[in-house]
Amino acid sequence: MKPGEVKVCVLRIEGTNCETESFQAFERLGAKPEMVHLKQLLGQDVRDSERRNLMDYHILMIPGGFSSGDYVRAGAIFAARMKSKLAAPLAEYIREGRAVLGVCNGFQVLVEMGFLPGLEGVMSQTPDAVLTTNDSSRFECRPTLLKYENNYNCIFTHKIKSGQVLLIPSAHAEGKLLFPQDRADAIHKQLEDNDQIVFRYVSPDGDYAGYPWNPNGSPRNIAGICNPSGNVMGMMPHPERVFHRFTHPDWTRGFSSELGDGRVIFESVLESVTKRF
Amino acid sequence: MALAGLYKKLEAPFPLSEVLLAGATDEQLNAIAAESGTGLSQEEMKALVGYFGKVGRNPTDVELQSLGQAWSEHCCYKSSKQILREFVFGIDNPQVIDRGDAGVMEFDAENAYSLRIESHNHPSAVEPYGGAATGIGGIVRDVLCMGCQPVALIDPLFFGRLDTPPEKIQKGAKHPTYLFDGVVSGIRDYGNRIGVPTLSGSVVFDDSYTGNCLVNVGCVGIARKEHLYKNRVGGVGDNLVLVGGRTGRDGIHGVTFASAVLTEDSETESRGAVQLGDPITKEPVIHAVLEVARRGLITGMKDLGGGGLSCVCGELAYAAGFGAEVHLDKVPLKEEGLLPWEIWVSESQERMMLAVTDANLEEVLHVFKFNDVEANVVGRVIPEQSARVFFKGVKVLDMELKFLTGGPEYCRPREVRAPAQRVAEAPAKRKLDHNRALLGLLASENICSRDWVIRQYDHEVRGCTVLKPLQGVIGHSSHGDASVLKPVEESWKGLAVATAVNPWVTAIDPYRGGKGVIDEMCRNLVAVGAMPHAFSNCLNFGNPERPERLGEFHEAVRGLGEAAAALGIPTPSGNVSFYNESETGSVMPTVVILGTGIVPDVRNAITSDLKKAGNFMFIVGRTGPEMGGSAYYRLTGASSPLVPDTDLPCLKRSIDAMLAAMSEGLVRSCHDISDGGLAVAIAEMCIGGQLGAEMDLEALGEISSEAALFSESNTRWLVEVEQTKAEPFEQALGGLAIRIGEVGGKELSICSGEEILVSQPIEALEEAWKNTLWNRMGGAE
Repeated sequence: MKPGEVKVCVLRIEGTNCETESFQAFERLGAKPEMVHLKQLLGQDVRDSERRNLMDYHILMIPGGFSSGDYVRAGAIFAARMKSKLAAPLAEYIREGRAVLGVCNGFQVLVEMGFLPGLEGVMSQTPDAVLTTNDSSRFECRPTLLKYENNYNCIFTHKIKSGQVLLIPSAHAEGKLLFPQDRADAIHKQLEDNDQIVFRYVSPDGDYAGYPWNPNGSPRNIAGICNPSGNVMGMMPHPERVFHRFTHPDWTRGFSSELGDGRVIFESVLESVTKRF
Repeated sequence: MALAGLYKKLEAPFPLSEVLLAGATDEQLNAIAAESGTGLSQEEMKALVGYFGKVGRNPTDVELQSLGQAWSEHCCYKSSKQILREFVFGIDNPQVIDRGDAGVMEFDAENAYSLRIESHNHPSAVEPYGGAATGIGGIVRDVLCMGCQPVALIDPLFFGRLDTPPEKIQKGAKHPTYLFDGVVSGIRDYGNRIGVPTLSGSVVFDDSYTGNCLVNVGCVGIARKEHLYKNRVGGVGDNLVLVGGRTGRDGIHGVTFASAVLTEDSETESRGAVQLGDPITKEPVIHAVLEVARRGLITGMKDLGGGGLSCVCGELAYAAGFGAEVHLDKVPLKEEGLLPWEIWVSESQERMMLAVTDANLEEVLHVFKFNDVEANVVGRVIPEQSARVFFKGVKVLDMELKFLTGGPEYCRPREVRAPAQRVAEAPAKRKLDHNRALLGLLASENICSRDWVIRQYDHEVRGCTVLKPLQGVIGHSSHGDASVLKPVEESWKGLAVATAVNPWVTAIDPYRGGKGVIDEMCRNLVAVGAMPHAFSNCLNFGNPERPERLGEFHEAVRGLGEAAAALGIPTPSGNVSFYNESETGSVMPTVVILGTGIVPDVRNAITSDLKKAGNFMFIVGRTGPEMGGSAYYRLTGASSPLVPDTDLPCLKRSIDAMLAAMSEGLVRSCHDISDGGLAVAIAEMCIGGQLGAEMDLEALGEISSEAALFSESNTRWLVEVEQTKAEPFEQALGGLAIRIGEVGGKELSICSGEEILVSQPIEALEEAWKNTLWNRMGGAE
């Protein structure tokens, strides 16, 4: 399959607000993204011509934002609306090896739905994790440095060199990844054993540093994870915001490439999908 | 006085009254104006008597309320219009496309951008979180109703000093820390949720804002030219479609509240005038409105802001030479039982009015339903130039739009006082050596790092923020002069946005202050490599019925207009906010500018952080001993009526020369010199770049070391240039640039010949600068 044949569903509901730049990231690489409202998948208030089928897409992207205002808990309402009618098709979609990317609010949705970390098969009945309020109790919009820690299980990142540090900015109020207290160590070990840890926050020296380099206080500095089979990834920082070098926070200080650090994630998944399908 | 003598109940299946204007005494007219909450003056009430005398009947309560809205200072600019017309309306430029709810400017051959800034002061003083949030909502709708996608928010804020002792807060007012925290949270929660980056702003702390904080909100949007709309209907028969939020009792009399002085009782009396915001209704409204706009399904639109339906229906139709018929029972309500006049004037949020032909109606309604946004036909465009409003089959309002939207215009008495009458020359109360003065300035509330605010706002959503508000080495970034967006996917052209304001200078010399704020806007834009292109202004003043206040307004607008006209920079939109005073006095005259500039290629944009050891430092512009209003004088307790003036031909020449040098790639970093003078500017550049500098100010000429370090003379920049480019840079600047230093080391040292003025390690500068807001507001590490 050629990149031009890869269909990407950029899913939105009210309050999703990073869909434009997410769409553009795929479009710039020659894929065929489409902005799809959840109601088009659910068949609510839509004409026949507006109905869409999840299975027609190779990549599902759930962008950042404040879906439904995040008034209950980040991503909870979006997840509940998806779960009621879309849980089974989405589980099937994932089982087939198609790709699902959740960024920021999208990550929160995937965790709420039980697809990440996805330790009980494709979808856990109750979430194994939660993305909760930052230690600072504030919304934090700041540059973050992510160390790539995956061993090539994740289909979104295989083009990144092992141990490489990427500058990918964060902007969230609820990004602290917690596991059930009594099982936290066990789950963490499981994630490592399964090669599910993708990114960890580090300081400019490459250390697992605290605030502000870890903007939310996530234990063990986890910024992004994937499911055991590597085709579902969630991350808090926003790769679509650093597609070009010229949206990096410090590009005027000099750079070696005009490509932004986030671009490689979109390139990786497109390459994975074109090889597979 | 009994209300019975003022009103007569009319026959209708709901409460409706006739207002007994005919034959009313002056006292009765005053009583009606007061009781109805319209705030109309006796003179204005008499104009109503005249009009309805000619029509041959008394007005209904709905008509009275409607006039109260339309004729408020907030809606019709009755005290300011003549002055604005004299000095700013005439500045024209072929790149101005429209002057509607937001001004529209050309961006490139295919695209246009819109801009506007306005105040949301009184609601924010009473309810900071909701007031600020709905301020954002309102300004976003102003940009949206031109057909533009909002792409940037700008928020200049003004509070009392954060360290004000609680006992110094007047009764009825709230502590500045509470207001500051509430306003920032309101902007954060609304702006972040609707996905529009907050790119620029300013925070000013001064005692004059303790009783009346100022919250100004600006927005910039972008659209392809063919998707632009006018704030007017297409033609007779167009449906008036009300979309978005429901209508309730929140925000009733918001405009009359905004057109009066704040008092001890404002909290209890006027909380109902503060609207409730709902960003999660707004976000899909933006989607749906832009979709119908891009698909050409509407003929025009306008947002519901001040005055609600009563202002929008008439203005939308009358702008095209027609009138409107509106059925209030078709308006969806938040609660049952609203009276017709309440529906008519409510300022409930998240509402827009679209004009739609019959042919496109079904499709428009479908788009809104799909986005889960309510849309209802509430009226229709009629050929007569009148507004006719019905409720449950009864006509409750019928007025000629010429009269309704005409509004009075006043040439109120004004008194202009010379700067020397306003402030006396006085020596410093505190003697500080230069090192302590610099550290004191860096730590002062008005100069210290704004990261506590900036990092709570999402300034990168939409993924096209090329220069952020904080610039430099990550973890140490410092204030930039302007932010830059790359708003069009197919183009590298950039749009820069900057804020400019200096109330201390304007308070001493409003005329020079007005000119100076244009200078500051230009400095900020040019510093990042942007050609100043347009500006929107928000003029915050006290009670215009006091001659001294109106005198300040006149002089500030005169200065503003002169400077803008000399540069040919148009102001396609603006806002006046009067009555910013409380029982303890007026705010300083506060002229706020949202400036926009064009960056030919964002890949050449320039930031303020120092880049490399060995580069030379230049100062561009002349430094004079004009210290009135300066941060240094405020720190030391000195005062002077002599504030910086602006040499307009020199400003123009400097802008051109700086941009020419930048376009040739001669500039590595640049920072404008403003609050705190040269010393603060170079300190910020050192912090952002984590590099030191050695400066020698002897070449500035025969001025005191205080003036050399801390003067805030206009039209100046600090510029970093590579050694090999120093000569072409000096040539490009044609004598405006003086070499005064070199980048390097880990220390800032400033001398004048043999005399060492300042010597500080960068860590000490950064330590002084970065913590103040965190310490005051909590969250310090």
